[in-house]
Amino acid sequence: MQATVLTATLSGVEALPVEVQADVTSGLPSFVIVGLPDAAVQEARDRVRSAMRASGYDFPNARVVVNLAPALLRKHGTGFDLPIALAILTATRQIDPVATAGASAVGELALDGSVRPVTGMLAFVIAAGRSGLEIIGPSEALHSACIVEGVTSRHLDSLGRLRGGPLPGSTGVFTESPELPQPDLADVAGHNSARRALEIAASGGHNLLMIGPPGSGKTLLARRLPGILPPLAANERLQSALVHSVAGLDETPALAGIRPFRAPHHTCSIAGLAGGGSPPRPGEMSLAHNGVLFLDELPEFGPAALQTLRQPLEDGYLTLVRAEGRVRYPANFTLVGAMNPCPCGYLGDPEKQCTCSPWAVSRYTSRVGGPLMDRMDLMIRMDRIDPDLLIAASPSEPSLPVKRRVLATREFAAGRGALASRLSGAALLSACALDEPTSRLFTEVARTKHFSGRAVTRVLRVARTIADIERSRCVKASHISEAVSYREGAE
Amino acid sequence: MNETFLRSEVRIGEPGYPACLLDLHDPPKTLYIAGSLRDFRPGIAVIGARRATPYGIGCASRFAGWAAASGVCVVSGAAIGCDQAAHNAARALQRPTVAVLGCGADVDYPSGATALLEDLRTQCAVVSELPWGTHPARWAFSRRNRIIAALSLAVLVVEAGLPSGTFSTADHALAIGRDVLAVPGSINAPESRGPNRLIRQGATAITDASELADALRSAGIELEDAAADATVHRGHLTDIERAVLADPMRPDDLARALTLDIVTVIRALGSLELSNRVARYRDGRYGIPASTTRGR
Repeated sequence: MQATVLTATLSGVEALPVEVQADVTSGLPSFVIVGLPDAAVQEARDRVRSAMRASGYDFPNARVVVNLAPALLRKHGTGFDLPIALAILTATRQIDPVATAGASAVGELALDGSVRPVTGMLAFVIAAGRSGLEIIGPSEALHSACIVEGVTSRHLDSLGRLRGGPLPGSTGVFTESPELPQPDLADVAGHNSARRALEIAASGGHNLLMIGPPGSGKTLLARRLPGILPPLAANERLQSALVHSVAGLDETPALAGIRPFRAPHHTCSIAGLAGGGSPPRPGEMSLAHNGVLFLDELPEFGPAALQTLRQPLEDGYLTLVRAEGRVRYPANFTLVGAMNPCPCGYLGDPEKQCTCSPWAVSRYTSRVGGPLMDRMDLMIRMDRIDPDLLIAASPSEPSLPVKRRVLATREFAAGRGALASRLSGAALLSACALDEPTSRLFTEVARTKHFSGRAVTRVLRVARTIADIERSRCVKASHISEAVSYREGAE
Repeated sequence: MNETFLRSEVRIGEPGYPACLLDLHDPPKTLYIAGSLRDFRPGIAVIGARRATPYGIGCASRFAGWAAASGVCVVSGAAIGCDQAAHNAARALQRPTVAVLGCGADVDYPSGATALLEDLRTQCAVVSELPWGTHPARWAFSRRNRIIAALSLAVLVVEAGLPSGTFSTADHALAIGRDVLAVPGSINAPESRGPNRLIRQGATAITDASELADALRSAGIELEDAAADATVHRGHLTDIERAVLADPMRPDDLARALTLDIVTVIRALGSLELSNRVARYRDGRYGIPASTTRGR
C-alpha cells in the first residue's frame, strides 16, 4: 500500500517542496527512511511509532519504507514527523487520503501524539502558498502565518484529532498590527549634534560610526534609531519575519512593523555574524535585514568577521557556499558602529587622562580597516555629558516628531530618485545638482583638504540627504559645510 | 650597507666634545654623533608633549622657525608631536637642528621619524650617549633629557600636560642654570597646564617673536638677525570663530554657550574649517588650526 503526503525542507530562508512517500508491504517488520535524511529526520521513526500508538492508531506490523523525494536534496529538521505519520496512516487506510490532499504538512510529533511547532514555519507557509497548497500544522505556529495573504491553514494539534472530522482553519489576510513601544529619543539628554547625525542617518539610510569614551551614550542613541525609521512595509515585514522564523526567533515584532535591531557581542564568530553551521542558519547580518546592525566596540570584533560585512553592505544579501550547496540570505541593513577613541577609552575626554601611547591609539583605530571605514558615511564624536547638564537639561525632543520628519524626507527623496546612501558616481553628481559656484568651491576644498575619491562621495551623499531634509532640489554650500563635519580625519 | 652619514665618537676632554655638556654633574662619558657637530653652538631646546594639539604643534613650529631664522640651533628629541614640529620648522629653513635620542644615534626611533632622522644625520646631527645600535628603553629617555637641556642655553616648553616627561627637561635645565621659557595656553586646556604652571613658578612667558628674541639674548645667545613677526590678519571674526579661537570647544557646548541652533553651529564650523580658519581636533573640539599658529 502506498501513499504520498507533501511537505517541505528549509534551504536558506526558503522552504523547498518535498514529497513523503510511504510504502507498507508485507515482510519482516521494519521502518526505513531513505532520501538523504539527517540525524533528526532518522529519529522521526521512534517518535512517529510512539505518537501513532498513543493516539490510538496501529503502527503497521509490516515492512515500512519512507522515501523523501527529491532524494538528492538533503533534509533537515523535525518537521518531517507529521508528514511521515500522515503518509503511513494514509497508506494503511487509517485516515482518508482526502484529509491530506492539496496540503503541505509540517510539524514535530511528541510521544503522546501532540503536534509541536518547528522553526521556519513562516517559510513553510510561504512555500505552500506559492505551490497553491494549504498548510497543516500546529495552531500555535500558524497564528503568525495568517499574515500571508491567501494561504489557508488547517490546525492540527494532536494526531488523534484527525478522527474528529474536518480540521479547523483560517485564511490569511494582511492586517496592520498595533504599534509596539520602542526606546524613545526623549530619554537622550543633550547630544544635540549626535541627534542631528542620527536623524540624517535615518533620513538617508547612511551607515553611522560613533566614537567616544565609555558612558557617553553611544548605545543609548543607537538603540533609538529603529524608532525613528519608517515602519516596515508589508513585503519588508514578511522578509524580516521570515529570517527570524527560520532562525527560530520571535517574529512578532517584525510582523508588527518594527525594524529589527541586532547588537551582537564582539566575541561573535564569523558564522554568527554572516550565518553558517549545519544546516546553515542565518547570522546577525540577516537578522538585521531591513533594520539596524549595531556593532559596539567595533575594533574588538575579529578582523575576519568585520570583512564579511563588505558583501552585504554592497549588495544587500550574502551567499554562503558550503559542501551542502549554496544558500543566499538577505542582509540589507543600516550599519551603526561604536568605538572608543583609544584602548583605554579616554582620549580627548575633558575629565579623565588618556594613558595610551600614540602608537597604541593608531594601532587600535586601524583594526577596523579602511574598506569598512569607507562604508561609514557619517562619523561623529560623542562625549560624556556633564551630570549638571543632565539634570538641568530641558526635555529632549521625543522620537515621534523626528520620525515624521524622517518620513517626509524619505518621501521627498523618493520623489527625487533614490536614497542618497544608494547613490554613487554620475548618478550622485546629477542628484546633487550643484550650481557652478558651489561646484567650484567644493572642488577647491577637496583639493586643498586632500579628500580621497571615497571621501568626496561620502560628503556628497550626506550633503544630498541634508538637502532632502530641507526639501531642496539642489545641494547648496551650506549643506556641504555641514556634511564635511561628519567625515573622518582631524588635525 | 652603504651609509650616507658620518659616525664619530668623542670622549670627555677630547677636542670636539661640546663644552656646554660639562655643566652637567654627570656629563656623558662618550657622545656618539651621527652627522657632524663641527659648527655647533648651544641653542634653544624646543620641547613639548607627544600628544600635542594643533595649537602646540603650531607653536613649536612657529617659535622653532623664528629661532632658526635668527641663526639659533634648535635642539629637541625627535619625538612625535611638538619635537618633530620643531625639527621640521628648522629644516624647512635649511637651518641647523640637533636631535638627542634615548637610543643609539643610528637607530630610527620613533619609527615615524625615519625620514626626519635620516635628513638630520646627513645635514645636521643626531646624538646620543648610548653606543651605536642600542635599542630604545624607557629609562634612557629621561636621562637623555639632561643632554637636551645642556646642549641649549634656553629651554622652551610649548605644550605639556601634568604630569609629563617634558618637566624632567625643565628640571635639568634649572639645575644647570639654563633659562626656562614657556608658551602660555588656555586655562581650560589640559595640554597647557604644564607651561602655565612653569610660568607661575617663574619661567618666562613667550607669546611672540620679539619676546623670544629678548629671552634668547638674555640667555646669552647671539642672534644673527631678528625675524620679522608675522601677525595673522584674520579680519572680521564671527562670534563662533571668536569663541573657538579663545578656547577649543565642541559644537554642543558652543551652541549652548552662544544659545544658537545646533545645525547653525555645525554648518558655521564646517564652513570655517573648509576655509582653514578653524580646525577640527581629534577629540571632536574645534579650535585654532596649526597653520595659523605657525604664522605662515
